[in-house]
Amino acid sequence: MKNLLEVEDLRVEYRGRPIVGGVSFSLGKGESLGLAGESGCGKTTTALSLMKMLPDGLKQSGGITLRPEGLEEAINIGKRTEAGMQVVRWRHVSLVFQGAMNSLDPVKHIDSQIAEVIRLHEKGVSSGEVSDRIADLLTTVGLTPALGKRYPHQLSGGQRQRVMIALALACRPSLVVADEPTTALDVVNQAQVLELLERLREELGLSLILISHDLGVLAETCDRIAVMYAGRIVETGTVEAVFSNPQHPYTKRLLDSLPVIGGERGLAPPIPGAPPDPGNPPKGCSFHPRCPYSTDRCLIEPEAREIAAGHVAACHFSPWASWPELESSGLAVES
Amino acid sequence: MDVKDLAVTFRSRRKTSRALDGVSLDWKRGEVLGVVGESGCGKSTLARAMLGLQEVSGGEVLLAGNPAGGRSEMRDLRRRVQMIFQDPYQTLNPRQKVGAIVAEPLIVQAVDKSVRQERILKALTDVGLDPETYLDRYPHQLSGGQRQRVAIAAALVLEPDGLICDEPVSMLDASVRSQILTVLMELKERRNLALIFITHDLSLAWSLCDRIAVMYLGRVVETGTAVDVIEKPKHPYTTALVAAVPVPAIGAGSSRALLKGELPDPSELPPGCRFHPRCPKRFAGCDEIDPVLAAVGPHGQKAACLLYDGADPAGRSAGGPGTAPDADPSSRLAPPAGLTGE
Repeated sequence: MKNLLEVEDLRVEYRGRPIVGGVSFSLGKGESLGLAGESGCGKTTTALSLMKMLPDGLKQSGGITLRPEGLEEAINIGKRTEAGMQVVRWRHVSLVFQGAMNSLDPVKHIDSQIAEVIRLHEKGVSSGEVSDRIADLLTTVGLTPALGKRYPHQLSGGQRQRVMIALALACRPSLVVADEPTTALDVVNQAQVLELLERLREELGLSLILISHDLGVLAETCDRIAVMYAGRIVETGTVEAVFSNPQHPYTKRLLDSLPVIGGERGLAPPIPGAPPDPGNPPKGCSFHPRCPYSTDRCLIEPEAREIAAGHVAACHFSPWASWPELESSGLAVES
Repeated sequence: MDVKDLAVTFRSRRKTSRALDGVSLDWKRGEVLGVVGESGCGKSTLARAMLGLQEVSGGEVLLAGNPAGGRSEMRDLRRRVQMIFQDPYQTLNPRQKVGAIVAEPLIVQAVDKSVRQERILKALTDVGLDPETYLDRYPHQLSGGQRQRVAIAAALVLEPDGLICDEPVSMLDASVRSQILTVLMELKERRNLALIFITHDLSLAWSLCDRIAVMYLGRVVETGTAVDVIEKPKHPYTTALVAAVPVPAIGAGSSRALLKGELPDPSELPPGCRFHPRCPKRFAGCDEIDPVLAAVGPHGQKAACLLYDGADPAGRSAGGPGTAPDADPSSRLAPPAGLTGE
């Protein structure tokens, strides 16, 4: 079976500077992929380029192929024009944005916002059918249809995020990209929204790309995970493989820095410095200035290599059989 | 520092919201106290009320046993207890240099000029910023982590006894987050500070705090050592909060009891226990009796829940405190109250 989505060597440039520097991944039907990384690493840019929704000035290149079920020909998103993309967006791929409050129209009822999406993408739907579908959608995301008569400000943050998900599902797409869907929510609402996404994936056979800086969130909802750093994927593999046996020092340090209930208390030694500007990454391996294990070899850019089946890391020294013990030297003064 | 029965009421044209409703805490030097709960539970209001940034409608704040009511006491309190806010992008004046930002508290509190420079340099060094490089920079020239360090330095120059940190790292990236936490923990050790950590992230509270107070709708519903409260939660709300934490491990979170519904409107508090409409373990009486904090375990663990109330009329003590109420005949379950919003 062919994959639903193939992304090959996706690059995004801003004034000749690379923001995303050659990202490739694929996604099967019903599969969920997590994109992890810190702010500025290119997660959101990658998500937007999948829908060709990048802001002016950003140029993308590379192949993006989508093969939705029931469609004879694959959709070559990479080559589509703006007009061609309007047929694809929302109908085949939809996006759940981070800030639900900023993405909903404050002066329109929830119902009419969903109706707008349906009418725009499917011509000739009767108004009876539209209202049936709205009620269905709201029920699917765990809201009572009566809430459709409300305005966004009358809903809680969790409810608004559910409305965003209902909007994304309105035209029954095969792929949903969720960009930090739970970041603005507190733990309880976050758990509810994650559970909802998981359920929708099972019930509707959706494929999901979940973008989050929170590795815990990704561990719970994804089959596979791709860790991004400075515009590249530095490690990818199944959630099991990456979490139990990380093969890139960045992944390793990130996982170590997460507090885990029931695990060791206290703090792991922090990663020094800050993530680099993706437009101006350090020479060689972009993580080497912050990497405790770096050597001269790291000034040469490492190739992404397959370490085990489906587990790829871009580090000269992987596979790591064991990680050298780090000295907890406290905090270095920055100058 | 002690907080006794603190209450804060917000009034709007039609409604009265009790944002804080009788919260008591004690807080010692060298200790990290975590205040956890959902957004809207009153965590930040508590912090603001403790510093007199929020008018209180009842209760009092005691500093070393003395009530901090009058102007001069409040001034003293604000020197000795400092606060760090969530968003380092909004708390720093964009038109001031780092040196001026850090110096400002010294001017406000009229600290002797001869020691000012020395204090500023010490505070910046303590948070891991080299004064020579950073004194003359503007906030926009700093990364998020560096800004938060400047905010911490500005809180430190007055050499406070306590720091209240309101979600100090929730805006920061994972790798920067642990740097800031390391700074705070080292400061606590070095200066023997008392720290309050306000967070909705229970895993963070678990790894850093000595004691925890769990808040729900303006009340503390459970308190105790961090290990006790999180590993052996007694109040059903704490149990649900712990269950909601995403676990960065495989196979976690597949079968867990999720809290349903939304936080009720604090202007229309449910009768009885305020958690009962969402509580998976509610039984008859929960909608009538408002439970108070009572001892439920060793090391001073306390919870406000009828499950552990020895005086419960139904003779539930048969199995001792902590017996699961699930064993009760279902007829005793209160009819499911309408969940707000959903």
